[in-house]
Amino acid sequence: MSRIYSDIIGFGKQYLRSKVGAFFGFIFPILLILLFGAIFTAGEGQKVDLPVQNLDDGPYSLALIENLTLTGLVNVKTIPADVNIDDYINEHSLPLALLIPSDFSAQVEQAIASNGTIFAFVTLYADMSQSTSGTAATAVEVAIVSMNFQISHAMPVITMGPLQSPGKGESFMDFFLPGVVGITVMTNSLFSMSSLCGEYRQRSYFKLLATTKLRKHEWLLSKFVFYSVILLASLLTTFAVAKLVFDVKATLTPLALIMIPAGAFVFVSMGMLLGVVVKDPESSVAIANAIGFPMMFLSGSFFPISSFPGFLQAAATVLPLTYFNNGLRDTMVYGNSVSTLANLVVILVLGAVFFLLASRLMSWKEK
Amino acid sequence: MTKGTVVEVIELKKEYPPDIKAVDGVSFSIDAGQIFSMLGPNGAGKTTTVEILEGLRTPTSGSARIFGVDVAKDYTPIRNRIGVLPQNFEPFDELKPWEALEYWAGLYDKKVSRKEIKALLDVVTLSERMNSISKKLSGGEKRKLGIALSLINDPELLFLDEPTTGLDPKARRDIWHLISEISKKGTTVFLTTHYLDEAEKLANEVAILHKGKIVARGSPQELITGYGKMTVVVLSGAGHEGLLEIRRRGIEATEENGDVLVPVKDPSEMRAVFQKISGIELKVKDMYTRRQTLEDVFLELIGSKMEEGVLKP
Repeated sequence: MSRIYSDIIGFGKQYLRSKVGAFFGFIFPILLILLFGAIFTAGEGQKVDLPVQNLDDGPYSLALIENLTLTGLVNVKTIPADVNIDDYINEHSLPLALLIPSDFSAQVEQAIASNGTIFAFVTLYADMSQSTSGTAATAVEVAIVSMNFQISHAMPVITMGPLQSPGKGESFMDFFLPGVVGITVMTNSLFSMSSLCGEYRQRSYFKLLATTKLRKHEWLLSKFVFYSVILLASLLTTFAVAKLVFDVKATLTPLALIMIPAGAFVFVSMGMLLGVVVKDPESSVAIANAIGFPMMFLSGSFFPISSFPGFLQAAATVLPLTYFNNGLRDTMVYGNSVSTLANLVVILVLGAVFFLLASRLMSWKEK
Repeated sequence: MTKGTVVEVIELKKEYPPDIKAVDGVSFSIDAGQIFSMLGPNGAGKTTTVEILEGLRTPTSGSARIFGVDVAKDYTPIRNRIGVLPQNFEPFDELKPWEALEYWAGLYDKKVSRKEIKALLDVVTLSERMNSISKKLSGGEKRKLGIALSLINDPELLFLDEPTTGLDPKARRDIWHLISEISKKGTTVFLTTHYLDEAEKLANEVAILHKGKIVARGSPQELITGYGKMTVVVLSGAGHEGLLEIRRRGIEATEENGDVLVPVKDPSEMRAVFQKISGIELKVKDMYTRRQTLEDVFLELIGSKMEEGVLKP
């Protein structure tokens, strides 16, 4: 145990003094939060899934859904009418949903009769951290305009009520925050470990360590513990900045705190595996980048996976960061513990596989 | 293994497919307190041999025992009794020397006080730099820090793999002094080097390794006596004509770069040799004696000179 502690302290001092380590651990996530908070814009040209709960089932609501489909911007999915939409959004971690109220058709008729003095409302729930929210809002607006044109010669009788945020979040930063944390956990653990293994091999540090009493599994364990601690500190810092600057409402739940070491475990192990399998240090860093950067975008850190083409959605299901982002978002934004735990299990299983492979293949000695 | 023998190597081989014989049946032993130097050019098999002894490589055949324990079977009892400075050692960039020593001690389950660290840094003459970030140390200082790290567990046997390669002459001399001081305290030192002067200056015993085999072994003096020509009288600028003239008088001589070299195997013959030479009319620029060194032995045995570990024709 004292050897692990010594390794954590010795390595930790080096990490914290290295400008790169400090940058990726603390500055990078804060920069992401601040920059993306300022410049985030809606995506364009993608067909997004829009789950719709139609409590009305009258002619106008069916016509609205048909018009939504005709926009070509959304795939309409059905939310059962007998469920509470807020619960359904949370349970399924939906970034988008449209609610058509039970008296929608009656409202429309009243609005037509009132000659435009009263309106029929639909409610869009949209996670504004997702670029697809703009697409969905546009689709709903276009469908409403089209409906108004068809039933009242463009007199506005149907309108969209105030935009609702799904889950607990109230700004897009609430939803973006878990994505930033996910990227930070991945970049720090995966990139650092793959380059660290390369450097240790190149500088013969593994050989040097092999001459001490420190054992391989102790070294691996110390890296996992170190990155867990540093990334928890990073999460707290990033969360504090997001709270202070953007007044986020996302919650720092106990499950979120458990997700961090789980994320460190899977990405540290993955980085070690890369560093072990790819012997040349520069190549291992290049391959870590080649895996890490696409994973950043494909795993739902910035864009919802549902907006991707089918083959990319399939690819996302094999990426550990997908499960990390989903799990963290589920607990911090939606308060969905069941879904978080399911994602946590996937992460731990993947982490265990990577860890076992890395520790099996890693050799401090020459053949 | 006799009492006092720290290392015993018998017919050690290390082969790599398809047919590379990195170490080809070497045998030697090292007594406690000795500085044993394995001398040879790059690729001779020095590092492979030392890494087998450090438990970092598995031998193909033969046996290697340290403190009586077979290194291929169980290295655990050996680990705490050895210190290692690997080839081309680079310290951990961001740690200060005292922090590096504290860290390294922890890896041996050893707690060291700042006073003990300071004392160790004093030994390697690095205490004034104890608070500098390691990446800012000079090449020689980094190597001294490496030696300090290798001493943190008070080893009985110290492996130094080319400790002065790439250092400037002053740094090399400093490291030599340090190795001598360590040896004086009773630590056995296994030194690999491709510097002939280093082996000659430091080692009690030298093994010359070439193409995986030990081609000669003994104390520097024994090697010079056995394989060299001891002292030579140098007739500077005597040239080929001078060589022929001397040989005509029955005196053994060789020519090297326009100089004629007359070997004197026994110092008591020196006066007689001088008398013989002075009786011959020769055009010489200068005449002086030169003591033979390991460099001459190496040239004699290998047939090439060695510069920075590379054999020169």
